[in-house]
Amino acid sequence: MVNREGGQLFTIEGIAAGLLMILTAYLVVSATSVYTAGDTHISDMQLEQIGSDTLKIMDTPENRTTQSDLQMIFSKPIIDEEKFKTNFLALTNNTTSKANDHINFTANYTCRIYPGNDIASSQFSHSRNLTSGEHAVRVTKWVIVNRSFCGTTGEDRAVLVEVLMWRD
Amino acid sequence: MARLNDDAQWIILMGFLISFSFFFLALIINQSTVVGQTTAESIIEFPKNDIRDFRGIFIDVIAKNTTLANSPTIQNDLKSISLNRKNAVVNFSVWYKPNDAHTYVDLYYNNGVTLYNETWASL
Repeated sequence: MVNREGGQLFTIEGIAAGLLMILTAYLVVSATSVYTAGDTHISDMQLEQIGSDTLKIMDTPENRTTQSDLQMIFSKPIIDEEKFKTNFLALTNNTTSKANDHINFTANYTCRIYPGNDIASSQFSHSRNLTSGEHAVRVTKWVIVNRSFCGTTGEDRAVLVEVLMWRD
Repeated sequence: MARLNDDAQWIILMGFLISFSFFFLALIINQSTVVGQTTAESIIEFPKNDIRDFRGIFIDVIAKNTTLANSPTIQNDLKSISLNRKNAVVNFSVWYKPNDAHTYVDLYYNNGVTLYNETWASL
């Protein structure tokens, strides 16, 4: 009777070894997807925040009676592409160290064609052309613009400024 | 075999415990990068900036300017462009109460995943 209990230790050992092997196999299979910092989208999240903040700054007027930088850019007879580019790059690429960041962008605006519900988008400023390789994030800002375009003359219009930005 | 010499059972047991604990620790490390990714993705997916921007343009600019607030052109601009470029249905209205100096603004934003409603009152 006593002798027949001799298999218990072997059974436990077998179960434990089996569990270990299954766990090992699971870990090996699930470890094949290697995440790099770029895959986790954490840098995208930060870049998007920098862009939103920049556009927010550019659309904040100095006081209640003046126009914001973005409104001034749009109220020129020809949209002031250079001013947008200079301001946007200065605000996004500034760092606390001496070396600047390498953020580039292309910007376009969208307006509604009056009357009706069709929309039109056109690019108005860019620091570099977008090729297919960049990993860009999109940031947007509503601006109230007074200019003669999109079917109206000299009337206030709501325009959506969209910026695609990426780090080189 | 086990009958012959049982003296090492403690050592074997400790060996099992330690190896199991290593596997669980490895499992936690294995999952840690995925946690960072899903957090960042859900933050990107939530239209925080869209809502703040829409709220900002409406409360800070349009509601303070009667010409803009009553302009159907501006309202249609916001609705059409939101739908086309942000896949979001937006609606808003400015209203007043009799014998009340406050301005009230109703805002509605819905992009199919996130729904945002607000009634804002001026100070």
